[in-house]
Amino acid sequence: MGEKAEIIIADHLLIPRSSQSTESNKTGSWRFLRPRYDEKTAPCSAACPAGEDIAMIEMLTTQGLFKEAWDTILKENPFPAICGRVCFHPCERRCNRGEFDEAIAIHAIERFLADTAARNEFKSSLEKQPERKEKIAVIGAGPSGLAAAYFLAILGYACDVFESMPEAGGVLRWGIPEYRLPVSVLRSEIVRIEDMGVRIYTGTSVSRDFLSNARGEYDAVFMGCGHSRSRKLAIPGEGLEGIEEGIVFLDRIRRGETDAVKGTVAVIGGGNTAVDVARSVVRLGGKALIVYRRRRQDMPAFEDEISMALEEGVEIRELLAPVRIDRAGDYFTLTVQAMRVAGEETDGRAAIEPEVDKADEIVIQKIFKAIGEEAAEEWYNPAERGKQRLTLGNSVLVHRDDGIVVAYGGDLTNDTKSVVHAVASGKEAAMALDVFFRKGFHAIQQELAAYMVGNGPSLSMETYMKGRRSERNHHVVAYDEINIDYFNLAARITQPRLLIDERKKTFGEIDLKISANLAIREAERCFNCGLCNQCDNCYLFCPDLAVCRDDSLQGRHINYDYCKGCGLCVVECPRNAMVLEEEGQ
Amino acid sequence: MELMVHDQEYMSSGHVGCPGCGAAIAMRFLLKALGDKIIIILPACCWSVIAGPYPQSTLHVPVIHSAFETGGAVASGVKAALDMKGDKETTVVTWAGDGGTFDIGFQALSGAVERNEDFIYVCYDNEAYMNTGIQRSSSTPYGAWTTTTPGDEWKRLRKKNIVEALVAHRIPYAATANIAFPEDLVRKAKKAQSITGSKFLHIYASCPTGWRIASELSIKIARMAVQTNIFPLYEVEDGVKYTINYRPKEYPVSEYFKLQGRFQHLTEEDLEHIQKMVDEDWALLLRKAGEHPS
Repeated sequence: MGEKAEIIIADHLLIPRSSQSTESNKTGSWRFLRPRYDEKTAPCSAACPAGEDIAMIEMLTTQGLFKEAWDTILKENPFPAICGRVCFHPCERRCNRGEFDEAIAIHAIERFLADTAARNEFKSSLEKQPERKEKIAVIGAGPSGLAAAYFLAILGYACDVFESMPEAGGVLRWGIPEYRLPVSVLRSEIVRIEDMGVRIYTGTSVSRDFLSNARGEYDAVFMGCGHSRSRKLAIPGEGLEGIEEGIVFLDRIRRGETDAVKGTVAVIGGGNTAVDVARSVVRLGGKALIVYRRRRQDMPAFEDEISMALEEGVEIRELLAPVRIDRAGDYFTLTVQAMRVAGEETDGRAAIEPEVDKADEIVIQKIFKAIGEEAAEEWYNPAERGKQRLTLGNSVLVHRDDGIVVAYGGDLTNDTKSVVHAVASGKEAAMALDVFFRKGFHAIQQELAAYMVGNGPSLSMETYMKGRRSERNHHVVAYDEINIDYFNLAARITQPRLLIDERKKTFGEIDLKISANLAIREAERCFNCGLCNQCDNCYLFCPDLAVCRDDSLQGRHINYDYCKGCGLCVVECPRNAMVLEEEGQ
Repeated sequence: MELMVHDQEYMSSGHVGCPGCGAAIAMRFLLKALGDKIIIILPACCWSVIAGPYPQSTLHVPVIHSAFETGGAVASGVKAALDMKGDKETTVVTWAGDGGTFDIGFQALSGAVERNEDFIYVCYDNEAYMNTGIQRSSSTPYGAWTTTTPGDEWKRLRKKNIVEALVAHRIPYAATANIAFPEDLVRKAKKAQSITGSKFLHIYASCPTGWRIASELSIKIARMAVQTNIFPLYEVEDGVKYTINYRPKEYPVSEYFKLQGRFQHLTEEDLEHIQKMVDEDWALLLRKAGEHPS
């Protein structure tokens, strides 16, 4: 006792000691299901007529990579600053987040990126294809013509754009009011297209003979002349002095030629032109009354525009069809027939019929007609005859007997008359012409089908140019394929706007800028459906350490020597960027 | 998800855990948190097998396989030996299943923590004796099928509340953790490592084989256990200071039960009864933590 205990260190412990790793057990042989990285298509991008890679744009935005996000838009759409403002954003209606809480404000982020690019004078990093020998004429510098020229330039073609008006832009310049699209924004987008080598000849009208004489100078023509002539009401009194076409009125405002409007004005029609006219009337001091023969919900105008018009004091009188106009001194009497709903049209709008013996009279000081537009000249419309003729999702191609191909796009071919549909037709035509020059007319339809976003009809130029997006699975991710355990409820941003009282007095832009902070926060709400955002869940939760980080773009790979095929990585992937398949398939 | 730990792994592929094994995931996270200056005492449990047949070992740290009932005692001895060697940096960790903790090793565990031995005792809980063939333990929850509570004889007794039993010993640190919440798990393991005296971690680890669940759902079910309040994430310092670490979404318990084969026999009334028990336990925990229901 009292002695210090002796510590015995055994040189050879008499217990068995393991000396090998388990890595010689190739547990991958247990597997009958095989996980794999498999990026898919987000519903928003499939719903976007321009096929923008929205899930990727939002992901880059969350990382503060605004330039890269903006470049990603430019791969599919030359007009982020314009579409961020005026697009009716069909993408947001298909947003999976809408089933969780509220859709992502995709348009607000698009506009933020474009404004950020303008403020920082970003130069786009678009890659152009090697120069081609073919030359293409584009008739009309509206959204479809400019988009066609832009994408043709990317594909390496020289383009001449002919525009009858003194400035390029078409409906963007002369139709859409300044409070939705400031002219400076339009100009900077057009400058970028010109910088790509596209020549725009303004004030240059093109006659019918142009198509017949094009051969020799041009190898193809894109027709994007738009719809610029108002349709007729075909009622007595339509021709009375003081009854104006809505589209001419908008054009005069954008030239800076309008005076104040006094008293109550009737605007006949329910499309975007009618709503733009009514809201412009309010800004010029008048009271606007939209007279529409169906119901408000049947109006072809975009919903947001209608609700803002109502906020600004525009009145909508629905289910009234004009039957005649009379003039008495300074006043017009618009006689209207009451209509009633009688079933449904094929497009979902109400079918209507007159309600017997129910007519009314509306007394106003001015009338604008805005029941829709049509091509100003008959030959603008797609030719019915030619060697070959092809109707695509957003454009029509006619292979003329003289060998050149004429592509028709924009309002001339699109059912939905929107800027983004015009962009879609320009892109589609550019890709179709490229296929035509390389492989012939017969190859166009089949070839383009391979570049659809999801199930189409939107097309991707990035895919066409064999960019990284071409690896994407066409499967469109559904809401129940998202692992919502990884997302928390968060309200959509509220678009800051001018106060209603200010809106009524000025043509200044209504939607105000949002901060980078807000834009990032909104982009962070995005599920990034189908895309890997390097969240690392697959790596973290693998019980077999079979997910290995590497330097590839994917950032990791699966070691099938050890993967037992439990499927945890696939289920824990929040955004369905992986797939589990039966082994041997 | 970022764990705020090194990317270093301290175990190898090729271990023989079942596909989707929650216990393997739990070990991986624990090792990432504690690093390689540790010695693991491994009483009989699934991990006795998972670690590999002799002479293999899947773990990159020293492991002592010990008898079923001796997790607490062997750890005490190893710690004493380290003290004699003057090694102050090595953390002693007992890694035991629920059988070796709740039942067979409870005496040794209780003795060790009563002496406030300086070690971390981790129980990875898969709620039955899994590797011997799914026999019920005192951790098996109310309502569960096992091979020893088969058919209509399903377990009609509550799961032992092991954390509260350890808290009653007034040890410096006791906490629950869950494989679906790795950041929380890693933080708690590191915290335990920084505290002197007895620490107890109760880690929920799903078992696809024993629970009759699809292997790919083992994280989802673990997460659901927290979101339904069946397995709250909380920690207790010095036996008195309760902190609830995560306020769950409080889904109905049926969301948890319907995903698992071992609960398929339960009727609506059974589920209502279980919901009452869960609500009761949660209310009690809230009171202990001085928090209010949401």
